[in-house]
Amino acid sequence: MKKINCLILFFGLLQTAQLSAQSRFVKDTLDANGDSVVVTATRTERKLSNLTVPVTIINAKTIQQNGSLRLTDILKEQTGINLTSGFGAGIQLQGLNPDYTIILINGEPLVGRTAGVLDLNRIALGNIKKIEIVKGPSSSLYGSEAMAGVINIITDASMGSPMTVGLRYGTYNTVDANLETKLQTKNFQYQGFINSYHTDGYSIRPNSNSRVRTPIERYSTTQQIKWELSSKTNFVLNTRFTNEQIQNEIAVSNNGVTIYSIGKENIKDLNASASLNHRFSKNLKTSLRTYTTTYDALQNLLTINGLPYRDVLNHNFKRIENQTDLDLNKKIQAVFGIGAVWEGVKSSRYDSEKLRKQNDIQYAFTQWEWKASEKFTLIGGVRFDKNTQFASAYSPKLSMLYKLNPQHQFRLSIGQGFKAPDFRQLFLDFTNAAAGSYSVFGSAQAQQVIARLDALGQIGNLFPNYNLLKALKPEYSNGMHFTWDWKINPSSALSLQLFRNDIKNLIESQQVGTYISGAQIFSYLNIGRAFTTGFEVEGQHKFNANWSMNGGYQYLRTGDKDQIAAIRSGTVYTKNSQGYSRLMKLNEYVGLPNTSTHKLQVKINYNSPKGYYLNVRAIYRSRWAVNNNNGNEVFDNGDVFASGYVAINSAAGKSFKNGVIIQGGIDNISNYIDAANLPNLPGRTFYTSIKYELQKINKNKIK
Amino acid sequence: MKKMMTKIAMGLGLSIALVACTKDEETIVIPVSAITVKDLAADTVTGLGLDGRPQSAGTTTYYSLVDNKVVASTDAASTKWDIAFSSTKILINGGTSGPGIGGAFVYVGLFDALKTIPADSNFSTDNSNAASFAIPLGSGKAWYTYDGLTTLVSPIAGRVLVIRTATGKFAKIEIISYYKGGVTLPASASVNDKLFKQRYYTFRYAYQPNGSKTF
Repeated sequence: MKKINCLILFFGLLQTAQLSAQSRFVKDTLDANGDSVVVTATRTERKLSNLTVPVTIINAKTIQQNGSLRLTDILKEQTGINLTSGFGAGIQLQGLNPDYTIILINGEPLVGRTAGVLDLNRIALGNIKKIEIVKGPSSSLYGSEAMAGVINIITDASMGSPMTVGLRYGTYNTVDANLETKLQTKNFQYQGFINSYHTDGYSIRPNSNSRVRTPIERYSTTQQIKWELSSKTNFVLNTRFTNEQIQNEIAVSNNGVTIYSIGKENIKDLNASASLNHRFSKNLKTSLRTYTTTYDALQNLLTINGLPYRDVLNHNFKRIENQTDLDLNKKIQAVFGIGAVWEGVKSSRYDSEKLRKQNDIQYAFTQWEWKASEKFTLIGGVRFDKNTQFASAYSPKLSMLYKLNPQHQFRLSIGQGFKAPDFRQLFLDFTNAAAGSYSVFGSAQAQQVIARLDALGQIGNLFPNYNLLKALKPEYSNGMHFTWDWKINPSSALSLQLFRNDIKNLIESQQVGTYISGAQIFSYLNIGRAFTTGFEVEGQHKFNANWSMNGGYQYLRTGDKDQIAAIRSGTVYTKNSQGYSRLMKLNEYVGLPNTSTHKLQVKINYNSPKGYYLNVRAIYRSRWAVNNNNGNEVFDNGDVFASGYVAINSAAGKSFKNGVIIQGGIDNISNYIDAANLPNLPGRTFYTSIKYELQKINKNKIK
Repeated sequence: MKKMMTKIAMGLGLSIALVACTKDEETIVIPVSAITVKDLAADTVTGLGLDGRPQSAGTTTYYSLVDNKVVASTDAASTKWDIAFSSTKILINGGTSGPGIGGAFVYVGLFDALKTIPADSNFSTDNSNAASFAIPLGSGKAWYTYDGLTTLVSPIAGRVLVIRTATGKFAKIEIISYYKGGVTLPASASVNDKLFKQRYYTFRYAYQPNGSKTF
C-alpha cells in the first residue's frame, strides 16, 4: 500500500509515470535543488539533478506559506518573471511577452488568451502540488508558444489528507474558500477540488468610481481519477471547470468625456483530459492521451448612453497524442510522439461571430537522451509541426549536462522555438465601444478595414507604420541558456544562468492610427528582429534549522535589432532638453518597451519545529518604458517611463498537530501604487486564513 | 471659476518667466542666423466642448518669415505671410491656402545639417485636403505625433520643414514645442494644463533672403 501511495504522486503529471519505478517521495523542501522529479523538461520523469536544462520548481509548501491564492501571486515572486497588466494578468519571462510562454495544467495547454495574454488569475492554487518552470525555447517538445519557456501546473495531490478545507478573508472583501477531498483504494484514486473566490475589486485611482480590478465571483473545480487496470496499465482522467462572473463598471475618460458602462462578463473554461498508459516491458511504455478544452467568454455591457456592447469569444482546442518511451539500453533512451490538434475560434471580435476560424496541426517529435557517463548527459530533440494556416516548422533542441563533481554542475542548451501568428493577430476586428472606442484590427485585414473606414470619413490620422501592415509571418526564436549550479556547502547554493534569445519576425501590437474622435487604432506587425539577453543569479542559504533566505536577480537587456542598426547608421534622432533635434546615441537606447533592466527578489524565511512560520518577501523592479514621446518610435531616455518600485509582502502562520493551519499576511506593506502602470498592484492589503487537513484515517476503513 | 483662471494665468506667467531664463544661443555656426519664435498662439483652446473635444474660435495665425512677425488675418489673401498655424494644422501660402507661390516638404535630418536644400527636392503645395497639405496634417505624418494615452502632441525628432516662401525664397523650420513655455508637457501634467497650454508653437527657423537654397 505504501508503495502505491508513493507512486500515485507522479500520476497526473504527464500521465507517463513509470509503474515499476522505484518509489520515492518528492520532498517539500525549500531547497529547490533537492532531488525532485521533473516532467516538464523532457516529457519524461527525470530527477532534477539529472536534467540538462534549467528548471525551477515551486512546491506546495512555498505556495501555502507565501499565502498565494492565484497563479500570478506566486509567479511574480520568481526570478526573471514580471507580471504584465492589460487584458488580465500575464507574465513576461526573460523579457518576452506573455504570448511566448505556454501554460500547461498537468501537461495540457490552457487556451483563451485575450490579446495574447492568458489571465493567470484564473488559476487557483489551492490544490496545486507544484509548479515547474522551464526557461528557454521548448518548442521541440511543446510546439508553438513554447518560445520563452513552459510553465506546468501540476495538480496531483493523491498523497495526504482525505479532506482539506480552507477559508481566507482579506481586504476588499476578498473571500477564498477551498474544499479538497481524496479517496484511495488499492486500484483507484480520486481527488476532487472546489474553489470559490470572491472580491469586491478595488479602485486605486483617486476620485474615481471605476474599479481597476472589477468585482469577481469565481468558482473552479477539478476532478482527477486514476484507475489501475492492471499492474501494467492505468487510466487517468482529469477535468477542470472554471466559471467566473465579473461585474463591470467601467468609467472611461476620452478627451475629457467620461462614459460609464455597466454590465456583466461571464467566462467559462472547461478542460478535460484522458490518458491510457501501458508498460509493455521494462524498456518500453506508451501512452495515449486526448485533451479537449473550451474557453467561452461573454461580455454584456450597457453604456450609459444606452448603447449595448456585447463581446463573445469561443476558443476550442482538441488534441490526440501518443507518446512512446523506449530505453534502448542503459545509456540511450528515446521518446517518440505523434499527435494532431484541431483548434478553432469564434468571436464577435472577428468579422463575424458565427464563423469559426479554424487551424489544424499535425505534429511529430522525438527526443534522444545519451547518458555518456556518470558525468555527462546529452539530449537532442526535434519536432515537426505541419500547420494548415501557416508554413511548417522544425524545432530542434540540443542540451547537455556536465557534472564536474558533486558541487558543480554545468548545463548548456540551444534550441529553436516558434510561435505561429494566432487568430487574433490575423482576424481580430474589434472596437471597444465601452472603453474609449479604440479598435484593434488583425493584420490580415487591417488595411482593408481601415480603408473602408477612411472612405466613410472616420479616420483621423494614419501613422507611417500603417503602410507596413501585411500578412504576418510566424515568429522564430533561437535561445541559448548556460547554467552553473554550485552547491557551496550543505546549507548554501548558488546558481548562475546566462541567457540569450534571438527573435525573428517578432509580432507586436502597435498603434497605426486614430479615429477622428482621437480614439486609437491598433494592429499587429512583424517588428522584425529582436533579442533579449542577460543573466540570472539565484542563491539560497540556511542560517540554521529555523532561518533561511533565498533570492534571485535578473539583469536584462532587450532590443530591436533593426532599431539598433538604424541608430548605428545615424538615422535616428532624439530631442535635447531645449527641444532641438540631435542624433541619438546607442547608449541612450533602452530597448523594448515594458522591459526592466533589473529585477530582484529576496525572501527571508522562518520555520520553527513547533509549526510557527514567518516570511518576508521583497520584490524590486526597475523602471520600464511605456510611451514614446519624441516621435522617433525608438525608446530612449527621453521617453515616458513607469518608475521602478519595491513591493514587500509578508505572511506568518502556525501549523498545529491536529491539522489546523492559521495564517495572516500583508501584501504591499509600503503601499506602493501606480494606477496607470501597475493596475494589478493594489495598495496595502491584509488577509487571514484558516485551513484544516483532516488527519489520515486508517486506510482499511476506506476499503 | 474666475479664481481658477487666475491660478492658471499665474502658472503660465511663471512658466514663461522660467523659459525666459534659458535663452538659446544657437546662432554662431550658421551663416544665415537662426531665429527662435516663442509661444506663437495658434487657435488656442477656450474650453471643453460637450463632445469632449477642445473648443476654440477656429482662428489661423499667419506669419511672415521674411519679417519675423505675425501678419493680420485680414491680409490672409495676400503674399505678406509665408506660413500659418491653426492647432496642429500648418498652412503654406500657395495652392488652396493663399495667393503666394509657397510650397514645402518635410526633410528627415537635423536642422543644422541641412546646409543646402537638395536639388531634387520636391516641394508640394496645399490642396483641399489638410491630410495631403504640403505639411500633411496628422499624427506621425509630418512634424508631430499624438499619443492617445498621454493626450500630448510631441514634435518628431529630426524633422525639418523646408519652406518656399510666398515670394519664392527659401527657409527651414524646426518645431520645438506645441505647448506654452516652449517645452512639451510631461505625461504627468494636469488635464487643465494639457488643455489650455496647447497650441502655442515654439520653433526656430532660418531664412535665406538671397533666393539661393543654401543656408
